Parts: sequence; C-alpha cells; structure tokens
Amino acid sequence: MNHDINIKELQKNCFRQSKVPGEFMLQMRVPGGVIEARHLSLVQHIADTWGNGQFHLGMRQTFSLPGIKYENIEAVNEYIKSYIEDIEVELCDVDMDVNDKGYPTIGARNIMACIGNSHCIKANIDTTTLARKLEKLIFPSDYHIKMSVAGCPNDCAKAQFNDFGIIGIAKMEYDYDRCICCKKCVETCAHHATGVLSVEKGKIVKDTCCCVGCGECATVCPTGAWTRNPKKFYRVIIGGRSGKQYPRMGKMFLNWVTEDVVLGVIGNWQEFSAEILNHKPVYLHGGHLIDRAGYDKFKEMILKGVELNPEAEVADKIYWAETEYRANIHVKPACNTK
Amino acid sequence: MSYSVSVKKMNEILKELQKDYKVYAPKRFEKRGRYSDTDLIRYAEISMVEEIVYDEKADFSPKEVIYPITQTLFYFTEHEYKESKVHDKGILIFARPCDINGIKRLDTIFLENGDQEDIYYKRLREKVKFILMECKEGWDTCFCVSMGSNQTDNYSLAVRFAENNLLVEVKDEAFNNLFANEKTTDFTPEFVTSNQVTVKIPEIDNKEILKKVHDLDMWESYNSRCGNCGACTSACITCSCFTTSDVIYSENGRAGERRRVWASCLHEDFTEMAGGHSFRNTPGERMRFRTLHKVYDFKARFGEEQMCVGCGRCTDRCPQLISFATTINRLSEEVNKLKNKKVSQVQAASKEVE
Ligand code: SF4
Ligand code: SF4
Ligand code: SF4
Ligand code: SF4
Ligand code: SF4
Repeated sequence: MNHDINIKELQKNCFRQSKVPGEFMLQMRVPGGVIEARHLSLVQHIADTWGNGQFHLGMRQTFSLPGIKYENIEAVNEYIKSYIEDIEVELCDVDMDVNDKGYPTIGARNIMACIGNSHCIKANIDTTTLARKLEKLIFPSDYHIKMSVAGCPNDCAKAQFNDFGIIGIAKMEYDYDRCICCKKCVETCAHHATGVLSVEKGKIVKDTCCCVGCGECATVCPTGAWTRNPKKFYRVIIGGRSGKQYPRMGKMFLNWVTEDVVLGVIGNWQEFSAEILNHKPVYLHGGHLIDRAGYDKFKEMILKGVELNPEAEVADKIYWAETEYRANIHVKPACNTK
Repeated sequence: MSYSVSVKKMNEILKELQKDYKVYAPKRFEKRGRYSDTDLIRYAEISMVEEIVYDEKADFSPKEVIYPITQTLFYFTEHEYKESKVHDKGILIFARPCDINGIKRLDTIFLENGDQEDIYYKRLREKVKFILMECKEGWDTCFCVSMGSNQTDNYSLAVRFAENNLLVEVKDEAFNNLFANEKTTDFTPEFVTSNQVTVKIPEIDNKEILKKVHDLDMWESYNSRCGNCGACTSACITCSCFTTSDVIYSENGRAGERRRVWASCLHEDFTEMAGGHSFRNTPGERMRFRTLHKVYDFKARFGEEQMCVGCGRCTDRCPQLISFATTINRLSEEVNKLKNKKVSQVQAASKEVE
C-alpha cells in the first residue's frame, strides 16, 4: 500500500485520518441533521463496500464512515456525487459545481440543529429550514465556522458551544381577558425558565427585561391567554467552544433579531474571517478569531450592511468566562523565547 | 324555506345582519396555537363567510361569547356601585349541534339551578340566535351520537358550506326578507349518525355503587398522567365554574370592581378553603369529580340528560393525551365489574342457602 499520503488534502475532502495508517473516515454533511431516510441505503452501501461495515453518528451530525482504505477513496468520491447533489444543491440550493472529486472543502463544518418545530412541542422555529438556508451561505467555504441551530432556549443543539449558536425565541403576547389566573405560567416560568411572571390582582404581570422567549408559558396556558407572536425571533450566541486549552460557553451577541439579520450576519462571516486571517483560511475556532479581532471590530464587521429590526438588541461588551484548566493560563512570558 | 346563496351574496347578508347583531363564528388565529406554527381556532366576531372555519373543529367552544372568561359584574366606590353593561345588539352564533345542545346544559346551570337566575348570564344569553353549522361527519374525538346531542332544532338559520355557495335553511321568519331574492332549494341540515368513537355511559343506579366508584383504583392511574392544567375544562362547552373576586384599582384604593373569571375543577386550588384545607388532593380525585360531574351528577340532579355532549374538545386539548371517551368507557367497565361481582355474590349466597 502507498504510504505516502497527503492527509491534509484528504482532510479537505472530508476524509479524516485513522490511527490505522492508510485508513480514513468519511464525514458526510447533513445540514440541520435531517434528510430523507432513503439516503441511508447509500450510506450503508459505502460502509459495506468500502468501509468497515459500520457508521458513526458524527458529533456534528455527519454520517461518519470509518475504515475506508486510501485506495478506495476515488471510488467513494465518485459514488457520493449524487448525494452531494441531492443534499447540497437540491435541498440547500448551494451554489457549487459537483464533480467526481467528493467534498470540495471541510472549512465550514456541518451545521447542526435540533429537530425543531417540525416535531418538538417546545420549539419556536423551524430549525431544519433555517439550517439549510445557512448552509447556502457558508458552503463551500474554506473558512472555518461551526454553527448550531436550536429550536428554543432549552438548547438541545448546544448552540452555546459553537462559533455561532442560533436559538429560536418567541415574543409572548398576553390576552388579559382570557387569563383565568391558574398560575400555571407562573409556575412553569419559575421552574423551567427565568421566573419573570407573577400574579397581580388576579391576573399576570411580567418583568419583560428577562423573559428568555422560551414559550413555556404559552404551552401550559389552558385558555390560550399566552400566545406566541407569529413573527419569528432569534438569539445569536457567539464564541462558544470546547477544546483542550480553555473551553468556554458562548455569550449572547444578538437578541430578538429576525431571520434576515441572522442571515446577514452569517453572510458576513467569510469576509470577516478573510480579513482577520489575511486571506489565509487556517483552522481557528470562531471564538479565537473574534478574540484576535477584538469584539468591537468583530461587531462592526459582522453587522456591516445588516439592517437591525426595531426589536433587536446587541451586546455592548462581552465578558468571556473561560474554563482555565491551569491557573494563569493567559499569563505568558513577556519576551518570546521561541 | 331554504335557499342557495352565493358567498358574495351571503357576505352582503352578513353585512346587513351586522346592523343589528354581533355575529360570532369559529375563526382562525394564525400561529397562535399551543405549539409553534400551529393555529388556534376559537370563537370571535366575523364579518365575512371566508373568516368562518367550518371544516375544522374549533379549539374552544362558543360558550365564551355568552359566558366571557373574564366578566365585570359591577363597579364600586366607597358609597356607590354601578352595574356593568353589555352591548345593545343581538348575537348570532354559528354553532354545531353539540355546542347548541351544550348551551342548553349551560342554561340549566345558570337559569334553572335553584330559584335565582344568573342575570349576568341571562342578559347575554337572551340575545342569542343560532346559525346551525351542519355537521355530517365530525372528527375522531367526537361522541355526540352516544350522548344524544348530535341533533337539534334549536336554530334560526342552518347552513351547509359548499365551495362557492351556501345552502341556508331559514327557520326564523324574522330573517325571511334577507333571502327573498335568492334561489330556493330543498335543503334541510343532516346530522351525524355515527361517530368513530362510541361511549357507554356507566349505569350508576344506587348509592352503594356510587360509593364503590369513588374508591376505584382507576382514578389513581391519572395521578401520574393528568397535569391538572385545566385545558379540558376551558375548552368544554358545558363547564361553567367561575371564581368571583373584588379587584381594587391601584391608582385609587377606594374604587374597584367585582368580577368573575372561569375556574377549573382540575386546578389544585379549586376546593381550597381558608386555612388551606382541600377536599380533593390528587389529580385522580379531581379527574373522578370531573368525570362523574359530566356523566352522572348533572343527570342525577336535573333528570333529563347528561352534562357532557360529547364534543370531544377536552380530548383534543389535553396536552397529556388523556381521552375522555376512554375514561368514560373505563368507568363503565369498572361499574359493570362491580355489578357482576355483586350478582355473583348474591348467587353464591343463595346457593349456600339451598
Ligand atoms: S417565554 Fe418568557 S415569560 Fe414565558 S415561560 Fe419563557 S421566560 Fe417565562
Ligand atoms: S397559564 Fe394562562 S390562564 Fe393560567 S395564569 Fe397563566 S396566562 Fe392566566
Ligand atoms: S360532536 Fe363532533 S360530530 Fe357531533 S355535532 Fe359536535 S362536532 Fe359534529
Ligand atoms: S366533557 Fe369533553 S366531550 Fe363532554 S362536553 Fe365537555 S369538552 Fe365536550
Ligand atoms: S387537559 Fe388533560 S392534563 Fe390537563 S387537566 Fe385536563 S385531563 Fe388533566
């Protein structure tokens, strides 16, 4: 077997190096984590024909197929042409030429999403459709970006741990006359959310400052006194990451923004990355990139040309809270001894 | 007399009617449902045929039109009070047979229960004329046929909705002139004759059985299922409970109003008295109360008919997917078991005597 393999090149095609020399794992994109089940037969065919018969449900919702031998990669790339066409071009309307060479880039990672309001009783938004729209904006870009879309602030999608986490929220509206003061909303808000509701003179009042827009109150209300305003809103969390050095949860960047704002912001990501990285797409977590630019610069560039809706809120400053595995991890020698 | 009326013409007639009536019908509130991107259908004033949702069951019943969720009874200051007023128009309600029959139950509760009529109910109720919405099939939670509430002749107009026109039977002569120029036809409304769900009413015919029903194990199964949310009673056409309270205005502590607001026997505090004591302390106990109220108590008290009309809305709205039809049928089975047990005990006893 040829042991002279350019693993960087293969990685670009979404083949990940195995501990067994010469073996690779293909990561197939599933934007938003939902596709028609018929594609499974294609996945099975790859696993059975070229892989080791197994597949891993990738941590970023990819179909990951381990045990593919280097010499079979060409055949696999030819074979997945139809899948890339179906998913990227047909489903997500991505502007790309699909050829026999497999995935053109691994830069922008698969967009994760929870199942959202096509199924979930807690959700506020259609996460699948949004993920597909976002895919069109970021793929195929060599610039790294990790994104996840959550249907509600429960955040099963772990939006908090991505470069950009997008969370569906709802503006709740209260119909005074329909309320029977059963206090179910008060209890559920205190139990599941922020406890911003209370009873006053036999009706409900709300401290609007801190409502997280989860929609729990509407879900439990027996009379439909609480309902979601049909307009869809989003919270955008930035700079979350895992990792060995200093993982951190993301912080709120935007609150109560519309889909247009979300799409505008993500549309600016590539240009922002290119500028900060001097037009060299290297692997760097979004959070590090924001740190490198500084939050103010990031904010300015990422909101360039984006028209904020009247309800929108933007973070003034961000105070990151990193997990410092070692104390003083940021304290480094003053003179570079390298 | 019956007429075939175009949608356009019917809209003109509605416009004419609105001079004297407020017209209510099931209306769609887009994306206002319990879950994201679901609609809410409930009664509200309409002015056009196109607004009427006739091919889906409304989430809430028309009782809110005549028995508002929140109703101010009177206003008071230190030395005086002033009764609240209602509008001076008539009320037309597009309603299905089950709901029209349901309002008959409400009439019994509010107007014939004891020697006092409830004037706050009466003052809206006496304005009402019904426009029957023909209901030929129903939905998978309906059991009106089992409850005998699938038919009614208590209506002024009856309508069948078709694609571009409506068939209208005019029973109330007061409306004849509105239809004078329309094409006559021989329409009379049909009624649903069988539902997908049938319900057997438990035969609780003596106190001894009633006592045993009280202690059935089946109620306990609801302790872990029912969330005591009260969605069932809020949607129910025949639930009539309310709480009365005085609300003192914040700006002026000496003025306020007395109002009544719907209550639910499923809520934890429904039977709570001063001092915190409650009669029914578990979801199962509350479920038992509601069930017996709907298919035993009311009839035992008033004689004629069960309270429940089988509209199935309680099942439709229950977020815990508890079917009320199944609950009633379970109860019937348990009652049968109790009775059979008794019969076999008697037989065994008489055998011993032989
Ligand atoms: S939407 Fe707001 S008020 Fe409603 S439960 Fe969530 S945090 Fe509380
Ligand atoms: S859940 Fe609905 S009816 Fe109950 S107190 Fe809250 S708003 Fe009022
Ligand atoms: S119970 Fe169902 S089928 Fe019967 S009248 Fe009502 S809606 Fe129609
Ligand atoms: S108990 Fe249920 S089925 Fe019976 S009238 Fe009430 S809502 Fe309708
Ligand atoms: S709607 Fe269902 S869960 Fe809620 S109180 Fe009624 S039976 Fe219980």
